[in-house]
Amino acid sequence: MAQLRQDYEQFAERDTEVLVMGPEDAKKFQSYFTDNNLPFTGLPDPKHRVLKLYGQEVKIFKLGRMPAQVLVDKAGMARFMHYGHNMSDIPSTAEMTALVDELQAELQVSTSPTTA
Amino acid sequence: MAKVKLNTPAPDFTLTDYTGREVSLSDYKGKKHVLLVFNRGFM
Repeated sequence: MAQLRQDYEQFAERDTEVLVMGPEDAKKFQSYFTDNNLPFTGLPDPKHRVLKLYGQEVKIFKLGRMPAQVLVDKAGMARFMHYGHNMSDIPSTAEMTALVDELQAELQVSTSPTTA
Repeated sequence: MAKVKLNTPAPDFTLTDYTGREVSLSDYKGKKHVLLVFNRGFM
């Protein structure tokens, strides 16, 4: 989470909003986000509604849920997803921003004016 | 449990953020890319 905070600007520059979901309640989210000065949108999901919707692997044993990330493009399509297999199995910001750059490049191609 | 498929519409959802604001994935459609981070927990 600390790494993601440092890298937030890189996502913001790329027209990308970061939504963080987790099992804690709103109060815990608020104190964590305030204490750590996190600029993202924090979405408490104590009933795991979205976690289940997106099929995050739920491990019953003490390790708890594994981290997962999904990149959704401006058209609302899921373009990349990563389901972690262990606690530190998280893609780097460089990988993620490279993917966003690809999405941005696609948009420029599809929205650039055509010469008549 | 079915997982989300690539290059298909991401399932929409609405949650209330910790400040009490309702946030839907569809709010960002046509405006921004969205990186969804499913956190395992802060502790």
